[in-house]
Amino acid sequence: MQFKVLRGDTILKILLATAALFIIGLVVALAAELFLGSASSIHSFGPSFLIGTQWRSSQNVFGALPFIYGTLLTSAIAIVIGFPISLGVAIFISEKLKGHQTFGYGLGIIVDLLAAVPSVIYGLWGVFILIPLLRDYVETPLHNSLGFIPLFSGNPFGYDFFTSGVLLAIMVIPTMSAVTRDVLSVVPNSQREAMYSLGATDWEVTQKSVLPYARSGIFGGFILGLGRAFGETMAVTMVIGNIPNITTNLFSAGATLSSLIANNFGESTGIYQSAIIEIGLILFFVALLVNGLARFMLWRMTSGARGRA
Amino acid sequence: MKSTYVIIAAIVVIAIIIGGVFGYIALSNSSNTSPTPAPTTAPTVAPGSTATPTPTPTSHPSTSASPSPTPTPTATPAPTPIPTLAPAVLNGAGGTLIAPLMSVWQPAYQQAMSQITVNYNPVGSGAGITQFTQQVVDFGESDAPMTAAQYNGLPSGTTAITIPISASAVVPAYNLKLANGTVMTNGLNFTGAVLANIFLGSITTWNDPAIQALQSPSVAAQLPSTTITTVHRSDGSGTMFAFVNFLYRSSSTWATQVGVPSTSPSWPTAPAQIAAPKNAGVAGAISSKDGAIGPLEIAYILENTGQTSLYYGTVANAAGNYILANVSNIGAALQAGASSGLPAGNASWTTVSMIDNTYTNTTATTMYPIVTLTYALVYQAQTNYVQGAALVNFMSWIVNSGQNLGTGLGYVPLPANIVAVDNASLKLVTYNGTPILH
Repeated sequence: MQFKVLRGDTILKILLATAALFIIGLVVALAAELFLGSASSIHSFGPSFLIGTQWRSSQNVFGALPFIYGTLLTSAIAIVIGFPISLGVAIFISEKLKGHQTFGYGLGIIVDLLAAVPSVIYGLWGVFILIPLLRDYVETPLHNSLGFIPLFSGNPFGYDFFTSGVLLAIMVIPTMSAVTRDVLSVVPNSQREAMYSLGATDWEVTQKSVLPYARSGIFGGFILGLGRAFGETMAVTMVIGNIPNITTNLFSAGATLSSLIANNFGESTGIYQSAIIEIGLILFFVALLVNGLARFMLWRMTSGARGRA
Repeated sequence: MKSTYVIIAAIVVIAIIIGGVFGYIALSNSSNTSPTPAPTTAPTVAPGSTATPTPTPTSHPSTSASPSPTPTPTATPAPTPIPTLAPAVLNGAGGTLIAPLMSVWQPAYQQAMSQITVNYNPVGSGAGITQFTQQVVDFGESDAPMTAAQYNGLPSGTTAITIPISASAVVPAYNLKLANGTVMTNGLNFTGAVLANIFLGSITTWNDPAIQALQSPSVAAQLPSTTITTVHRSDGSGTMFAFVNFLYRSSSTWATQVGVPSTSPSWPTAPAQIAAPKNAGVAGAISSKDGAIGPLEIAYILENTGQTSLYYGTVANAAGNYILANVSNIGAALQAGASSGLPAGNASWTTVSMIDNTYTNTTATTMYPIVTLTYALVYQAQTNYVQGAALVNFMSWIVNSGQNLGTGLGYVPLPANIVAVDNASLKLVTYNGTPILH
């Protein structure tokens, strides 16, 4: 009997280790393939690839900076718009609807449904609904009244960084709010009760007790959302305008790393294809870097925290 | 209190479901209205009123109609297909331009040859050539002829045969509200030089004297000061290849600044400019902005006539006539382009361009100048008789029987002189050193 149990444990251990190693192997294989595919581009262009601002494939001039900039800018807009909304949705469901589980569940399911919509559907919706809407009712008024600020100086067309950021915000909300909601719901009631017993208002309880307790988990959701914004391809390609641009003007067409790959991989051969794979490599490392940085901040935050969620 | 929330939640969910069902039914009943609320630019089209010129070119239609055909000595008519063919599955990959026509060819060919199945994967011309080079498909397809580097990249000892299988044209499509408030319909006049300057960003408004000079006085007077927004494809495409090939020939500034034509050209920076994926993306961007202009494939425009607020202009040919593209004047351009000679199927097609061939041709007065061929690629020496025989049969069927199936979609049938070149090329395909077609 004793022998049998040990054997079962060993087999399980081996199986689990294989699963874990498989993931590590996959990441290594991905990086290796990206390096191999972009070898001739890295060799030919060197570091100038990273800081070049021109992308002229027919003349073999490749610079990735406008695409890196586009990826970071659209993701930043998405986070600035999407994070407060996600936080609000999560707090509303887990704190304000505490006694009304059914409605909370219903609202949660509707938010989660947003994540199930394919991104090409978001893209189509962006082209036909969001672009005219934002252009006529948001961008044009902003441009007319605040056009002296560089952010709003461009002539609004709708196909731009701003629209892409708004679309991305809608796409990252379900991810961020779902994680935040789960984290808030496991905050022990004793935390809240302690505050209430001191005479705190609802907002004070949430602000001073619940959110600090759950901050590491909230930050985790933030990172997941950011990852989604970085990698999102199809919807952004359809609304961003696809012109490599480095400008502070939000109403200008831009391009992202993933939109460049989606647009051009099919028609590329030789060194051009190698350059596009190097763009993929950059996207891979930008995502790793941001995630790593976020993990580091998380580690710094939790090392001093009272508890974990 | 609690039950109130439950009821609200239930009502919301039920309302969403009912709304979806009713919305669907409402839209499907009036099926000819567009399913999405058409955005801006109300399509208030006042058709006849807006003076559409299209200077119908007069004089010698006979010259363009009878060019000397058959540059290669093929006295025989279409080669007779092999009578019995073994069951086979043919896989092809390549450009997206041909994909709608390919999806018409597949079932039609299946009816004629039930034992052969053809699969086509529209991955893009570049990827099509890559897969052809890696020999993972039976035939490749490309909107641009193979480049010297791509010929060099073929497996050693193999020879590619290039077979033009269809043709298309590119038109300057626009969305423009005139100064008197009406919409500019088909027929604004363009030349290659003016189009080049628009896309170079040196002509920036619609009432630029260079554009006015090409129009009839009544249209010229109505051109507004609207900013020109240029739209082009964000993905690589044979449509763009043809368009920039024409601009390359028309403007020396374009030639030095943009360089040799390619399927994904390096577009110059114009003041107001965006790029969108696929023909549908370009069409959507143009129709959503007053003052936008962009190159579109003629097939796309003809398929969507009346559904968008898109109109397209004429382009001046070498004879100086402004031509509004249609199937017959595109066919005339192809015939004129091929009459100056095409290489043998197994030779290099790198420099073949219908636009280059017709750019200085002043005798074909009725031809539309921005036309392009799209090519199938097969290996000359087939290593499997069953596959090779099926492949040759399919290509022969496309070239000889399949051409007219595409006219409804806006694809132009190949003229007789190109069909003759194709049939000669197909006879070059061998198995074990002997031609498969006799």
